[in-house]
Amino acid sequence: MTTLQLLVNGVALGAAYALVALGFVLVLNATAAVNFAHGDLVMAGGMLAVALAPLVPAPGIALLPLVLALMAGLGLLVSLLAYLPLRGRPPVSVFISTIAVGIILQNGANVLFGGEPRAAPPLFGGGTVSVGGLVVSQQSLAIVAVAALLIGAQQWVFARTQFGRRLRATAQDPEMARACGIPVTSMILATFALGTAFAGAAGLLLANQFFVTPTSGGDLILKAYIAVTIGGWGSVPGAVVGALLIALFEVGVSSVLSYPVALGALYATLLVILVARPQGLFGEAARRRA
Amino acid sequence: MRSRGPASVLTLGAALLLAYALLHASPYGLRVLTVAGVYALAAIGFQVVFGLAGALSLAHGAFFGVGAYATGILGSQLGWSFPATFPLSLALPVLLALLVGLPVLRLESHYFALATLGIAQVVLLLVVNTPEHTGGANGLAGVPGVHAFGLDVPRGLPMAALVWGMVALGGGAAWALARGRWGRALTLLRDDPLAAATLGLDVGRLRLQAFALSALYAGAAGALAVHTQRVVSPEVLEFPVMVAVLTIAVVGGRGRVAGAVLGALLLIHLPEWFRFLERSYLILYGVGLLAAIVLAPHGLTGLLERLLPKAPRPLPVPVSLPARPAAAGPVLRVEGLRKAFGGVHAVDGVSFTLEAGRVTGLIGPNGSGKTTLINLVSGLERPDAGRVELLGLDLAGARPDRIARAGVARTFQAASLPEAASVLEAVAAARLERDPSVAAAEAHAMAVLERLGTADLARRPCGGLPAALRRRVELGRALARQPAVLLLDEPAAGLTDAEKTELAAQVRAVAADGVAVLLVEHDMNFLLPLADRVLGLDQGRMLYDGAPAGVARDPAMVTAYLGAPA
Repeated sequence: MTTLQLLVNGVALGAAYALVALGFVLVLNATAAVNFAHGDLVMAGGMLAVALAPLVPAPGIALLPLVLALMAGLGLLVSLLAYLPLRGRPPVSVFISTIAVGIILQNGANVLFGGEPRAAPPLFGGGTVSVGGLVVSQQSLAIVAVAALLIGAQQWVFARTQFGRRLRATAQDPEMARACGIPVTSMILATFALGTAFAGAAGLLLANQFFVTPTSGGDLILKAYIAVTIGGWGSVPGAVVGALLIALFEVGVSSVLSYPVALGALYATLLVILVARPQGLFGEAARRRA
Repeated sequence: MRSRGPASVLTLGAALLLAYALLHASPYGLRVLTVAGVYALAAIGFQVVFGLAGALSLAHGAFFGVGAYATGILGSQLGWSFPATFPLSLALPVLLALLVGLPVLRLESHYFALATLGIAQVVLLLVVNTPEHTGGANGLAGVPGVHAFGLDVPRGLPMAALVWGMVALGGGAAWALARGRWGRALTLLRDDPLAAATLGLDVGRLRLQAFALSALYAGAAGALAVHTQRVVSPEVLEFPVMVAVLTIAVVGGRGRVAGAVLGALLLIHLPEWFRFLERSYLILYGVGLLAAIVLAPHGLTGLLERLLPKAPRPLPVPVSLPARPAAAGPVLRVEGLRKAFGGVHAVDGVSFTLEAGRVTGLIGPNGSGKTTLINLVSGLERPDAGRVELLGLDLAGARPDRIARAGVARTFQAASLPEAASVLEAVAAARLERDPSVAAAEAHAMAVLERLGTADLARRPCGGLPAALRRRVELGRALARQPAVLLLDEPAAGLTDAEKTELAAQVRAVAADGVAVLLVEHDMNFLLPLADRVLGLDQGRMLYDGAPAGVARDPAMVTAYLGAPA
């Protein structure tokens, strides 16, 4: 395969990872808590797409609004059960409660769908298109387009609408936001819904070429985490860039060596980054006011 | 006679369990009981690193797996027997923990969890992808049972007895450690690592010890698991093991050895009681974990303690702090200290000395660098340049615990005390690094509390103390260090006039004992009569160094506070 072709594959994978990392970092910023179930929510989105496909006799893209809506509902449920009761407790509590949610999702999927890899339908078609001698799968192009559309929409909402300004204010300083009359709890619920909807969309995008199994979530949460670490803890554009870098690294190393080696190298790189730059590549904002 | 509380319930439970194992259990029942023992052992180790030290290690399952594979490979491939494989199954995870722990242990909590999860994934990938050694995804069969010193330990009652014997041994050791100085130090750094460091505790080293010890327990559990199952496969390294251990610890009661045992017995038997759920019992684990963390954050042992409260222990008899040679003259010499954050020069070439027995005031407008200066001297920030010399010892850039041990104590602007700890425990924490036992530390702490007139607070939890008392407890904690230099960051903020008068008398008494005091304060009515000398800081530079009376007449200081005259 040519380098250019690998690049296209890497960008497609990176676009899906970017959605994963974006949902993760949005919730992180709004709640200052790590949602450890985020990878399992991506898996759940993929499984949902697999389950819905026989009911909707249309290309995979028709599933997207359904997956977004249902996953947003799931996100609300998760925040009501595993986040809201634990506000004001040490951050590790939310870490554990979301691990619990992940366990439930993973094993629930195992019971409902079994452990075998499943594939969701392609977004438009399974064919390839030829662009200037380069053979590219339609699905790869569709992934990039859908992810770009969703990320663009999120950026627009956050930058241009009153709702988005409130979401951003909540993420920046919940105390101050509350003092300004912003319904902080509703904003946090909305962020959970949005982040989970993006996770679900990523699940739909990934579950065609890369399949989905009940245990897919473990690697995905690590990759989202790594993306956010590389991009600077809490930085939204950083998370997207980090996700692209991870995907390119993964596709590049896999093509030369193998996928397990790529994964191992990725985690090893993460450890090196954490050790060399414990505050992330661009620094973490948290500093105690002593 | 004070009530034994939960201890008697636990003893009764242990007796019932023993009776069940000896008289009633079927071979299958014994097998399940053995597995529960294995998980209890693993969970006891997890209580040390997660419960006591507060580090959410997601590598615990990996250490379990490394112990399991060490026994599996050495036993089935090389034919080694228990006396050789067991110690190695303990040593290898510990070695791995030390190796990976050194760099990752100083990380923030969520990064630590991530890094340890990364380690676990790397170990799993390695094992699955090196089939020539590990049997790959299929694993290795034919692991021998426990055979040592001419004795054979077959499955069934003997194996159950061996495993539960180890649980008793390991549990007893962990319990003793948790109650001792080491356990107290770990809980302190769990609740407030920064404060722990300023009390002379080497946070990184304590965490590393806890991490290594947790790996020891996990390795032992892994080895015993393989001896019970006689096969080893990548299952021992997969996330469900980690999930089970975490769930056991949280449901049982975080930080409690009894919690680990109770949790393991309950959660390992749960799938047996809910047979109809078949393999979906893990969903139940998830639900149990979620319910426990939301509804009963202190777990089963926490509930037990609430139902059967222990009678409070009697207060220790106060013992005065050991006498220290009084210093005289200059104690701390700071020269050309610099610190920039990005382009902002927070501290820009500051020099001063502090003398024994003198109170030095440090004033300056907000953002002038006062707190940064204190952070630099106490080691919470590293200076870019300059010297900090304490009694002739250069401490610039040293770790906070080393600076604290050299004789610098400090308080924080927002009095930082562990909310759940009692006032006595909080003050005794300052003595952990000096005194030989918790009892001695508490006796000394009691003397400090008496001196500050707060002995009646000793059993009160720090959370919920009013501001003035919090500050006094924090001052007590700093004094319990018997420092040569005491740095007080706005100790009078939020106090009433009467409380300020009292504080001033206490500060004077401390100085009279030969301590060099540096006092950051905005309230001039409080500071100027109290201070022997005043340092004025503005934009990181020293503007004034002289008598308190001269501050109001100094044009530079007046400009810094009130702005340039129009």
